[in-house]
Parts: sequence; structure tokens; C-alpha cells
Amino acid sequence: MKKSIWVFHLNTGSCNGCDIEILDALTPYFDVERFGIKLVASPRHADLVLLTGPITLKTLPMVINALRAVPRPRYVLAIGACAVGGGIWYDSYSVIGGVKEFKKILEEHNVEIDKIVFVPGCPARPEAIIYGVALLLGLVKEKVSKEVVVID
Amino acid sequence: MTLKKLLKPFKLLSIAKKAGVVTVLYPYQKPLITPEFRGKIVIDSTKCMGCGACANACPPNALLITESNEAVILSYFVGRCIFCGRCADVCPTGAISISNEFELATTNLDNLKTILVHRHRECVNCGRPFATGRILEYVLRKVPMAEKYINECPDCRKNRFINIVSIRKR
Amino acid sequence: MVMNTSKSKLSREEIIDALKKFSEDIIFVESAGLIIRVKKDRLREVARFVHDVLDAYFRTMMAVDERPINNTFAAYYVFGKDELGLNIIIETHTDPLDPEIPSISDLVPAADWYELEAWDLLGIRFTGRKLYRFILPDEWPEGLYPLRKDVDYNLRPAIRKTLKQPPTGPKVPVGPYHPALHEPEYFELFVEGERVVDVRYNGFHIHRGIEKLAESPRFTYQKVPFLAERICGICGFVHSVSYTMSIERVAKIDVPERAEYIRSIILEIERIHSHLLWLGVACHLLGYDAGFMHTWRIREKIMVLAEQLTGSRKTYGINLVGGVRKDINKDKIQVAMNTLSSVKEELSKLVEVITHVPQIVKRASGTGILPKDDARKLSVVGPVARASGLNRDVRKDYPYAAYPYVSFKVPVYSEGDNLARILVRIDEVFESINIIEQLLDKIPQGPIFAEKIEVPEGKIGVGNVEAPRGEVIHITITGKGRPYRWRVRAPTYQNIPALKVMLKDAPLADAPLTIASIDPCFSCTDRIVVVDLKTGKAMKRNMEEIIRKNKVI
Repeated sequence: MKKSIWVFHLNTGSCNGCDIEILDALTPYFDVERFGIKLVASPRHADLVLLTGPITLKTLPMVINALRAVPRPRYVLAIGACAVGGGIWYDSYSVIGGVKEFKKILEEHNVEIDKIVFVPGCPARPEAIIYGVALLLGLVKEKVSKEVVVID
Repeated sequence: MTLKKLLKPFKLLSIAKKAGVVTVLYPYQKPLITPEFRGKIVIDSTKCMGCGACANACPPNALLITESNEAVILSYFVGRCIFCGRCADVCPTGAISISNEFELATTNLDNLKTILVHRHRECVNCGRPFATGRILEYVLRKVPMAEKYINECPDCRKNRFINIVSIRKR
Repeated sequence: MVMNTSKSKLSREEIIDALKKFSEDIIFVESAGLIIRVKKDRLREVARFVHDVLDAYFRTMMAVDERPINNTFAAYYVFGKDELGLNIIIETHTDPLDPEIPSISDLVPAADWYELEAWDLLGIRFTGRKLYRFILPDEWPEGLYPLRKDVDYNLRPAIRKTLKQPPTGPKVPVGPYHPALHEPEYFELFVEGERVVDVRYNGFHIHRGIEKLAESPRFTYQKVPFLAERICGICGFVHSVSYTMSIERVAKIDVPERAEYIRSIILEIERIHSHLLWLGVACHLLGYDAGFMHTWRIREKIMVLAEQLTGSRKTYGINLVGGVRKDINKDKIQVAMNTLSSVKEELSKLVEVITHVPQIVKRASGTGILPKDDARKLSVVGPVARASGLNRDVRKDYPYAAYPYVSFKVPVYSEGDNLARILVRIDEVFESINIIEQLLDKIPQGPIFAEKIEVPEGKIGVGNVEAPRGEVIHITITGKGRPYRWRVRAPTYQNIPALKVMLKDAPLADAPLTIASIDPCFSCTDRIVVVDLKTGKAMKRNMEEIIRKNKVI
């Protein structure tokens, strides 16, 4: 696992709430640069792709091209309710529906993603984003787990 | 005059010095969170009765109720939750409470699901499953005299009522 | 007919009399305004009369599929007369089998985009102008119009599987960078040498089908405020308030005063955070990163305050039809007062520094000028209009919520350049702090939710709010349990066509600041495509490259 990750921000049609929180993580109160994280301008230099938005129909080809340009190993951080599960408009005519549905399309285009970390939240707090990155780096452990309760 | 104007930008140094270091070294220090923050919801399985009011009020359908013959299944998918808290507003038994939990990152989508399975109670007359046990207990609390027919399914209740009325008419 | 058209002399009755010569069918609806129904062949005359003679500005246009109601397609053009606070709505219908309406985009330049949108989403043809694909992707099947009532909201046409090539823009050979590399570009600047001659906007990548979702069986009246709040993550609360306002006016719901005060407080907090965000981004674009960091550091206190008052840093989720969900008690009022006074103190010192930094002052003054006449013709809204000398503010002209109970100034500058737009926004932040302090002082006791909520069917309501970027206007036609048609118009939609005027014959180095000064969604303005007309090459340039290459200092 690398220590100093260069991230690329990819907006696939989000409302900008999660994007502002990503930018907020760079500001003095949260300061992700102390982890060595830097925002880069091109996906060819990136280790991690920060993906926000439910992936609308109009941005689909550009998202595929951008992900294809990221060198292996490809890591994706799906931030926000839209990227994880499609958000409040998961079944609209203009929306693919988040990274879960998008993986099937990616397989058709032969683009593989090595690891995806899902960060729920609407919008996802800067601390939640930092937690997601820390999870990817192996600094913290997962807290959530599946629960099934049967009541008679 | 112009020298004063030129030197104004250097006031930034005094602003910076006054602000000091404000960085919160999360995750090694406590995060900048307030007690009112709406995080993940917690469903109390001892109070939930499987009525579906929360699923009705949930805008992104993160809470879903599916009914089958044997059970009523309430599933909560955190991934699509918008953390609005409407479910906690409308729940009649107060089973849903809002916690402060925001550290929800995971690599496996299944970890974000919470599932409650309410087994249907069977009718004492015909044996068909018809309602969850908790709903029947809730109705009994509100209407104590329903004890006489609460354990029968609606069809058997209808038949019994028709029989009673037709006997009376004779 | 002799008309006294000087500014504040016309009354509503005189307007009705003047409009009678076009049509007898004029009614005044309390929740919407003056509605005049005309046949579509008289549409152009009425539009010219209302826009030029009556001097009302164009607010929005809504096209509706009314086939279930009266077997027509309808279009509602909304004009606003600021001095009276009156909406003048022109209603016209057309045949459902061959929908066609004469275009008014040469008389009212601001109506251009609305007609393209109605063509794209509803299939109404506007005669006398060129129509092209606007909102939906190029590969969307022909003849499938999503907003029509016979099309499902969750329809998935099969084009997803065949999208192999990205849609290309102008047919020029591409330079060293592939134009569709990562973020979809929004602005295409056509240059000759180093001067910009034209700009084209290629957007609507964030189209999610919200207007159709609100009509779908999944949604009800009380669920739509949550949908409205996520239209924009920076100014979402204004959309939520605007929607609830339109429904409350139709249903004549008596919203308690305390709820109106709370809504106004949260609206002003949103304005402060949005302007501080923009100020930081503007500093960053000009290369002054220290300003960016300090502005966002001060902004963080406002976000924490919003979390304490509403329960979430953004997308507050406290608004419902009929009132609010969360109350403010005395402790929270005290916390808010303390936060605001510390923000005011720190910000005044920081603003003094920022407005004296040479690179900002020299690059921002005299660039991106929008003259007052063009601003009036294009019906721009918000700080863009106020920086060009138009005294237009929805809080004063069409009052709503608790604004009639407070006193505040509306900053207006007349130069119309980038520096004027920066100064307007800075002044507005201090005015907002002033407004919130007045509201927190005067807030009355009482309930926060209305007692009776009954929404009648088939009525029209208009809600408008002054967002940080300009005027937001929502029109709703009510249906059974959910809206029949919901029209959302965000302010940037009306402001982007003004860029053509601002960027004409300007040096390329000034383009990033000019584009950012109308305050569009920030993530769209990061990448622009520069097309050099002399060599025919199109190259993608980073905003920062353009700025740093042509340093002024």
C-alpha cells in the first residue's frame, strides 16, 4: 500500500455537495495534505479516483475514458449516496445509478477496477472521506457489518 | 499614502498569526462533530412491528418493505440513505432513532445492509399466516377487547361474523 | 392609446385595461399573478408589448403536457413587473397532434434557451428559429420526449449499451490533449490569436430528470422538498423553500410566523457560506491561494453553525410543506450570535487585505464588462444584474418569508466589471450577517408547523426566492397527492447567455475570472476548450495554465 496518494476528482453529474466537501478536506480544518494527498489534474498521474455523482447518461462516455486512462492498479472511492446506491434519483431515465450498476457497463468495455471503497453520506462529511481514504491505506478497520435479525 | 496601500497585503501575516493552527488531526483526534448531527439510523428490533410507515416516508427508498407468505422483511440500505430522519418522525412505536455514526466506509456493499425479518403469525382457525406478531400486540394494546378475535385471519373473522349475523336473523 | 409608462405610475387595473385589446380572457390568481390567455397567433404581439412597452423582465417559461386535462400542449410565459411585485403570465395552447408555437426569441432574447428545452423534452416545435439537441445526450432516440405523460419516468432506452465514442463538439482536429479526458468541458472559447470572439456552452451533464421524478408515483407532496434540496449542493435550501412556497400559496396554508423566521435565518446562512465559497475560489483562480485558505477557514465556522441549527452541514432537510421540522431554542440563538460576530470581525480584516492585493485589483477591474442595456435585454438576475446598475432583488420586489419584517440595503454598483461583482458579493455577506442578527432578535414564539394542509387539484402557484446566485423561480401545477407539473428554473440558466457579451473581444487571460464571476457551479468551470480559429486547433487548457502564463504583475 502506498503512503502518499495522488487523487483525481471525477464528477459524474453530482449536485456538487460532495465535491465541495472534498475541496473542504484540503482546507485548514481538515488538511489532507498532511497525509501527502495531492489533487492532480490528469487521470494518468492518479492513484485514486474520487468519484461523485450518480453517473448520468451524458457523462457516461467521458467517465469510461477517464477510468481507462488511470494506470493499474486502479482504485476508486465512491463518495456520497449518489455514487454508492444511485441516490434519491436512482431509477430516473437519465441516470445510470451509481457505481454498483456502472460496474456491469465497465466490464463490457474491458475496464477493470481493482478495489472500490464506498463512502455513504449525503453529503459525505470531510471526516467520512478521510475515513474512507484511511481505510484504503489500511490505517483503520471497517466499522459496519451486515445485520440480520429474525423476529417471531 | 501609496506606501500604506502597498503594505496592506502584509496584514495577512497578522491574521494568520491570530488564527493559529486550527487543524483537527482526524482520525487520530476527535472529529469536528456536534451532537445534533444526523448519522446512520438504528432500528430497535424489540419495538419494530413491521408496519411499513418508514418505508412509505423514505424519499430514496433506502428502507424497503417486502411481503411474502411467511414473513415481512424490512431492509435498510445505508448506501442510498440521505440521512433526512423522516423515518424517525413517522415511526408509530419509536423504534427508529438517529445516531451520530458517520464512519460508514466499506469495501463490500453487503455490509451496508440491515435486515429485519418479521415472521407472520398463523391463524388459529385455518393455519394461514396473515400478520406479524408485533402488529397484533400493538392493536391489542390499543383495543383490549379485540382479544376475542385477534388471532384469526381477516377471512375467518368475516366468516364468523356472517355466521353470527345469520344465526341471529333466524 | 396614451400610456403612462414611467416607472412607478402604473397600477394593476391599468395593466389589465391595456392588455384587454389582445384578449378578453384575463384573470388574477392570488397564488400566481395576472394570467392572460391568448391564441398562439397573437403571442408575439403580446410578448413584445409586455417586454418592451410595459418594461417587465422575462422570468421563465413552462411548457406542459395538458392532454389529460384539456387535450392540448400549453406554454406559460412568466414576466415580472418589479415595481408592483406582479407576475404577468401569458398562456397559450396548441394542438396535441402537431404542437407548434411561434418563437419569441428575437423579441425577448432571454427566451432562447427555454424554447430549446421545450423542444427537447416535450417535442413542441417553435417556428421561425433553429432547433437542435440541447439537454438530452446526442444519442437519445428521436421522437422520445421524456416529459410527456405517456413516457415512464424510469424508462431506460437501449442507447446505454452502444455508447462507444464520446460525442464530439466542433469539427476541428484535436491538439495534444484529448478533449474528453476527464471532466466534461462546459465552455468552448473560439479565439483568434489571444482575443476571444465567441463562446459556446455545452452543458446539462447534470440532467437527472428531477421534474419528471416529482410527477412519478414514487413521490408525494411532502417528499419533494428533499428532492428539491439536492438540485444543487451549494444552494439547495432555496429550491426547497421555493417549492414549498408555491404549494403553500396554492393551498392558502397558514404557515406560522416562527417557521418563516427560521426559514429566513437558514436562507441567509446559506447565502453567507455560498459567497465565502465563491470568494475563495475566485482568489484561487487569480493565484492568491492564501486568500482561498483563509476564506474557507472562516467559512468552516458557518458550516458548523448550520450543523448545530439544523442537523446537517448541507442539505439541511428541515423544510416541509407547511413549516419546518426543527426548532431553535435560546442556547442556539446565543451560539449563533457569537459565531456571527466572530465571523464578521475576521472577515472584515480579511476583506481589507484581499481588496488591496495588486494582482486581484488590476486583473478584476475593467474586465468582463456587461453594459446596463445588455443586462436588461438578457434579463440577468442576481449579483450579475446588481453589478451592472440594475436594482433587482427578489427580497425587496416580490417579498416572501420574514423579509418584510427586517430592514437591509441592496448593494448596487454601476461599472459592470469583475471587480464590481466581487464587491457586490462581499457587501451582501455583511448585509446577511446584519439580517440574521435582526431576525434572531425579533423571532416570535409559537408553533413551527401549520395545522391544516389540504392541497386542491389543478391550480397553479409561483414561488420565488433570492438565491446567492440570483433569482430562483418554481412553478407548480397541483395534481392528486403529488405535483402535476413542476418547473424549476435556477439562476445560472439565465446568466450564462450573458457571457457572450462579457467575453467578446476580451483577452484570453481574463476569461477564467469572467466565467467564474457569474458564479456557475464551480466544478464546471475548471476545464475549458480553447479553439484557435486561425490554425483550426482545439486544445484543452487548464484554467490555472491560462492565468499563470499571462501574469500581469
